[in-house]
Amino acid sequence: MSNSSRTAAIAGIGATEFSKNSGRSELRLAAEATRSALDDAGLSPSDVDGLVTFTMDSNAEIAVARELGVGDLRFFSQVGYGGGAACGTVHHAALAIAAGAAEVVVCYRALNERSGRRFGQVAVGATAVPTTSGADNAWHYPMGLSTPAATVAMAAQRYMHEYGATSADFGAVAVADRKHAAKNRNAWFYEKPITLSDHQSSRPIVDPLKLLDCCQESDGAVAIVVTSAERARDLRQPAAVIRSSAQGSGPGQFTMTSYYDRDLASLPEMGVVGRDLWQRAGLTPGDIRMGVLYDHFTPYVLMQLEELGFCGRGEAPGFIADGAIELGGRLPLNTHGGQLGEAYIHGMNGIAEAVRQVRGTSVNQVPGDGPVVVTAGTGVPTSGLVLSGA
Amino acid sequence: MDPILEAAEKVKAAGECSPRAGRDPVNLPLINNWVEAIGDANPAWTASDGVAPPAMIQAWTMPGLGGGRVDDDPLGIMTEVLDSAGFTSVVATNCDQVYYRYLRHGERLTVRASLVDVVGPKKTGLGEGWFVTTRSTWYSGDEAVATMDFRILKFKPPEPGAERPAAPAGAGGQVMRPLVTPDTAFFWDGTRQGELRVQKCGSCGALRHPPGPMCPKCGTPADGGYTVASGKGTVYSYVVHRHPPVPGKKLPLVIALVELEEASEGQRCRIMGELRGVKPEDVTIGMAVHADYDRIDDDVTLPAWRPAPPGEPLPGMVIKASTTFIVSSALATRDFQDVHHDRDLALAKGSKDIFVNILTTTGLVQRFAAGWAGPDAVFKSIKIRLGAPCYAGDTLAFSGHAEPAGDGSGEWEITVRGDCFLGAHVTGTVRVSVPGRNS
Repeated sequence: MSNSSRTAAIAGIGATEFSKNSGRSELRLAAEATRSALDDAGLSPSDVDGLVTFTMDSNAEIAVARELGVGDLRFFSQVGYGGGAACGTVHHAALAIAAGAAEVVVCYRALNERSGRRFGQVAVGATAVPTTSGADNAWHYPMGLSTPAATVAMAAQRYMHEYGATSADFGAVAVADRKHAAKNRNAWFYEKPITLSDHQSSRPIVDPLKLLDCCQESDGAVAIVVTSAERARDLRQPAAVIRSSAQGSGPGQFTMTSYYDRDLASLPEMGVVGRDLWQRAGLTPGDIRMGVLYDHFTPYVLMQLEELGFCGRGEAPGFIADGAIELGGRLPLNTHGGQLGEAYIHGMNGIAEAVRQVRGTSVNQVPGDGPVVVTAGTGVPTSGLVLSGA
Repeated sequence: MDPILEAAEKVKAAGECSPRAGRDPVNLPLINNWVEAIGDANPAWTASDGVAPPAMIQAWTMPGLGGGRVDDDPLGIMTEVLDSAGFTSVVATNCDQVYYRYLRHGERLTVRASLVDVVGPKKTGLGEGWFVTTRSTWYSGDEAVATMDFRILKFKPPEPGAERPAAPAGAGGQVMRPLVTPDTAFFWDGTRQGELRVQKCGSCGALRHPPGPMCPKCGTPADGGYTVASGKGTVYSYVVHRHPPVPGKKLPLVIALVELEEASEGQRCRIMGELRGVKPEDVTIGMAVHADYDRIDDDVTLPAWRPAPPGEPLPGMVIKASTTFIVSSALATRDFQDVHHDRDLALAKGSKDIFVNILTTTGLVQRFAAGWAGPDAVFKSIKIRLGAPCYAGDTLAFSGHAEPAGDGSGEWEITVRGDCFLGAHVTGTVRVSVPGRNS
């Protein structure tokens, strides 16, 4: 598959610093990260003919194109559903390249999420929007279920009930992420590992979630340059070939509140993504060297492992025990520190880490040259990627 | 000794005050007026050889228009004492009636009151005040037929501009209002009327919540059809929200996703709502809950949940407290206080509008309990605690459950709650014996 002329690859990654107060506009962050990603690839704005971002991003493709001095754009797209868009931006870019609709597409996400609008607070306008989303929000916001943590806690509670998972099982994810972040100079929690007892004693936010089950809030931007694997071969960095990319939504799907027509202790939309990823890459979970699993809240990391087939349903607590997801374990996860440890850039920083793992440049490099998997936001229509060397 | 307590001791020592006689004997016309106003359909009340509704007891000896208290009335004396000490405002808090037997047409009643106790000063949500409890005993000849312990709070109104207690965490701001669409309006119309409506496909019968414009099972466009859920369900999952603040909510907040009893294999049916009346640590997945209704304003009532009470649930009862209802029921209970019929005077006294009088509330509690206990039930007592006023235009929604009294009497104890816009208007218990339904 990687030999096909239609195969796409990630040729460049770029980012701003990750902070709690960037002091700059989101558009400037987007422009900086995008330029940095092009520099990394050894490309210039004039090479760019496609831009993709999130529907939640406040910077239109044309605004970013103006700042970069990009002339003609042949492809532009926005992917919906919050953090579920992350790998979806690269998926759209790869599809455009495979179809011949674009040659160099930059995917970006820029947000002042800590110094600007904080996702962790109640979005008081959420039920006023005259859209299907606004109507969906009528079933939980007025009743008080009105933060991302609360929506995840509802599923986590059921997961604990059905499978006997404990808060300490969720804590293992936080401990692994923070251990990895402690070695990453770009991580907000650089040199600040935590213990399980730190996790257990952190304050309750929405039972059963504690503070250290919740990712941080961050300012920053990340950009990813996608081009054909063929062109990527001639560029500055080793290509991270997109072995497969996929989006997924499940039956009875809502955004963060798919509570009504399914087993709550599951993430069917991630199951859709996983099956597509493995089938189209011709791989199985056993072939995977490491993963970057979206970690806005710890419980969904466990449920993703089950949906992606790394373990059976309800078996994730056993699967992750004893450091299995830490560097040196059987499936190291989130070696950059994840969104709990490095920064919350809506999953885009996780794609950058997967690329570093393919290049061999991660601060927590996992040995070998096997493929890696990256996922996007959980609890929402989502997406994923499998990357490997050429 | 505190002069207030000193005065109280004197009144107490005086025992029962002089009797006040009812204007008329127990009679069918007045009963008919009462039954019409309260809406109690029990045929026992209106039969030519019937008995008087027990909850009507106070009406027989009300002073009437222009009437007043007897000179040695203990509540009159204590009111003067407390007024002159600056405790000028009053609110009734409890009304506990015990019925020794039912009254027949033609019986002439007198009432005598005594002071039970005066307790204070107490800091209350309204201000510092004293609780005064009196006991009225009704006599038919020399025979005591009923008593009523009546408690009021006499309090000092807070100084204008005085600091109000801090609002609880998270209480700031308004509750977020749901977006109502043509596809979902029936649901919100239902909660406003105390009903949990679940969309039902007119073609294949599939239940669906949240509702939508087209049946996902068979493709039939929605025709507005729904089923009214029983309101019973079990907690499927829940959270305890502690941080950050949520507009219009008090933290910690329990929110439960409840599987309705209408759900079946292959037919899930879940509704989310705040779970109230339970400590967060006592909530469990699988616990039985009943629907509750969180009225935000005239337009929006949110579905909510509370733990299923023990015993048998009572069929719900909703009363529209229109101006006509408030006035006619106040007059039918022979209560001529202006705040129950004269809007101008009610407003002048700082009230938002005229409001339902206590004698009517007692009558409604009897009617609600009879809805479960049936026409042959014999009421032994009605003991209520009074809460938020129910103003004209408001709605009173009653809920309750019945349990065996468990004291060998074979009687039932019915727990009652009536909610209006401002919260619980009345809570209390009713004791009844129900022929053929020994507890």
